[in-house]
Amino acid sequence: MRKARKQKRFDFVDVTLRDAHQCLWGTRMTTAMMTPILSEIDRAGYSVINILGGAVFDVCVRYLHENPWDRIKLLCERLSTPCDALTRGQSLYTFELFPDDVVALNAQLLARLGVKVFTVYDALNDNRNLESSVKAGREAGMKINGWMTYTLSPVHTDAYYVERTKELLALGSDYLCIKDPTGLLTPERGATLFPAVVRASGGVPVQLHSHCQSALAPKVYEEAIKSGFAAGYTASEPLANGASLPATEEINAIARKLGFQTSLNEDSLREISGYFRWLCLREEKPCGKVAQYDPALYEHQIPGGMISNLHYQLETMKLGHRLPEILEEIARVRKDLGYPIVVSPFAQYMVTQATLNVVQGERYKTIPDEIRKYARGYYGKVAAPMSPEFLDRLNLKSSELVTERPGEHIEPWLPRLRRERGPGASDGDLLLAAFYDKALLEPLKGPKSEYRFRTSPLHELVAWMGQRRDIEHARIRFAGTEMSFSA
Amino acid sequence: MTERNLTYEDLVQIVELVRTTSQFSEFRLKVGDVEVSLKRANGAVRPAPIPQETPVREEAPAACREKRQVSFSENLHLVRSPMVGMFYRAPAPGQPPFVEVGQSVEPDSILCIIEVMKLMNSIEAGVRGTVRHIAVENAAAVEAGEVLLAIEPLS
Repeated sequence: MRKARKQKRFDFVDVTLRDAHQCLWGTRMTTAMMTPILSEIDRAGYSVINILGGAVFDVCVRYLHENPWDRIKLLCERLSTPCDALTRGQSLYTFELFPDDVVALNAQLLARLGVKVFTVYDALNDNRNLESSVKAGREAGMKINGWMTYTLSPVHTDAYYVERTKELLALGSDYLCIKDPTGLLTPERGATLFPAVVRASGGVPVQLHSHCQSALAPKVYEEAIKSGFAAGYTASEPLANGASLPATEEINAIARKLGFQTSLNEDSLREISGYFRWLCLREEKPCGKVAQYDPALYEHQIPGGMISNLHYQLETMKLGHRLPEILEEIARVRKDLGYPIVVSPFAQYMVTQATLNVVQGERYKTIPDEIRKYARGYYGKVAAPMSPEFLDRLNLKSSELVTERPGEHIEPWLPRLRRERGPGASDGDLLLAAFYDKALLEPLKGPKSEYRFRTSPLHELVAWMGQRRDIEHARIRFAGTEMSFSA
Repeated sequence: MTERNLTYEDLVQIVELVRTTSQFSEFRLKVGDVEVSLKRANGAVRPAPIPQETPVREEAPAACREKRQVSFSENLHLVRSPMVGMFYRAPAPGQPPFVEVGQSVEPDSILCIIEVMKLMNSIEAGVRGTVRHIAVENAAAVEAGEVLLAIEPLS
């Protein structure tokens, strides 16, 4: 019997429509910017396309005034490649914890809108916070993609991640992923961590999702490919690098050089990157630039989406000049708090606490309520013991400590929401009402947008000229075609 | 209509050139098969900004930013904001305020919330007494040290 030597494969998950613009554009990519290139993205050979995450949902509502359910439905309808939606476990898209009935309804609605892969993670790696999402997601027919979040600390060892791997498998994950929100992984750490997780995975595909702040991500992906990872998350080249993820083009080249087969179509990738390069120019948004190696990153660990926000917010408070002090204080606060992972929402909590400590000139003079809740175990288990100085300032009573699964202490909301919104309310409306104030939802009621589902460089050029108020007359000629227009 | 000669790379170059030549009233470009010519209205003008979504600023409307200048009589205990943030009178939208003018408070009574970067900070009264003034509108931006409420201490 002839044995077919099967070439090893490496697959790609696209993040251009989600994490890439979250990191580089403050999550401001509109649906209208996506639709013209969707069919090309669909042809590119990605195994999965990530379309949703917490920030995308939130920015849709708060700033873009788009109904996020409409975007999800449209993208799922237009893409035949399986679409992936990411939620923060029991917190879904925001920072607070929701009751199990809201978490379940969200999973049901995502599945009904066409989401095929349901990605879940918990910002504390407390996988009890994934239980209700996973149960509801599976019942709704979606594949479960369980993430564990990487961080650097004395307690986040390889053995720690092997334990998390076992928990995610026990939950029934169809895929596993190491998520490295700040690009802290190095090839050296990957060389021990990745094989350990692959060995513990029992054949369930393991994926890598890492950012480029340290500029080491491509080498880290190379290590993951060698260690037997099944797939990596990447972005189209103009929206890759910097605080974003590595470029699909670059990781594809690395995988092929290592002798792995990939299903990516290079012509499609070129068309997609051309479009997004143009979009950066048209929208006056930055393209990703390869970062310089910065050792300070390993101290403050501020994740991709937060760097630009932190700077902006400090400027509005006229505190821009105290940024270096605040970054140093963040590292100390993190140790005091028992090494929470520097990821939303705990990144914001630590940044805020560090800012207060610096600005008030006295450590822990003010402790935000959310940090108090964190210390009580309200959000989940704390990774390491908290410092005596911090605990002293907190002055927690033993009656305040929470030990059960965080979702347990929240009463169902849907009966109340159904009562308030009336029998005509759709599931999407109920969920939006669970997440947001009425006033924030008002702008979503505008007329539905019209979208273009194809475009071309010529089309874009003509449209761009048409919007220039200073141009009175224009003529474009090429390849036997001529057009002219006058104001 | 065929356009196999115009790529996104060409488009990016053409638009960058058009943008950087706005001081000239005429623009002509010929590269390979592509030819673009433009005449600008009223001779050379400053380029109009490309219509795009209004940039989002996560800050309070101008009205909230006006300085509030209120003077308080000396016997009042002034509760000041410990930080820059947003002032909220109620624990959540739609819920009743923590306190109203005329209400008695204990030192650990929560008077309001100051939100900084989506984090809620409860502000306590610090003294036993009666709320006499609420100096800031709900959901307004406040500066560090700005007076939020005034309490007449119980003597």
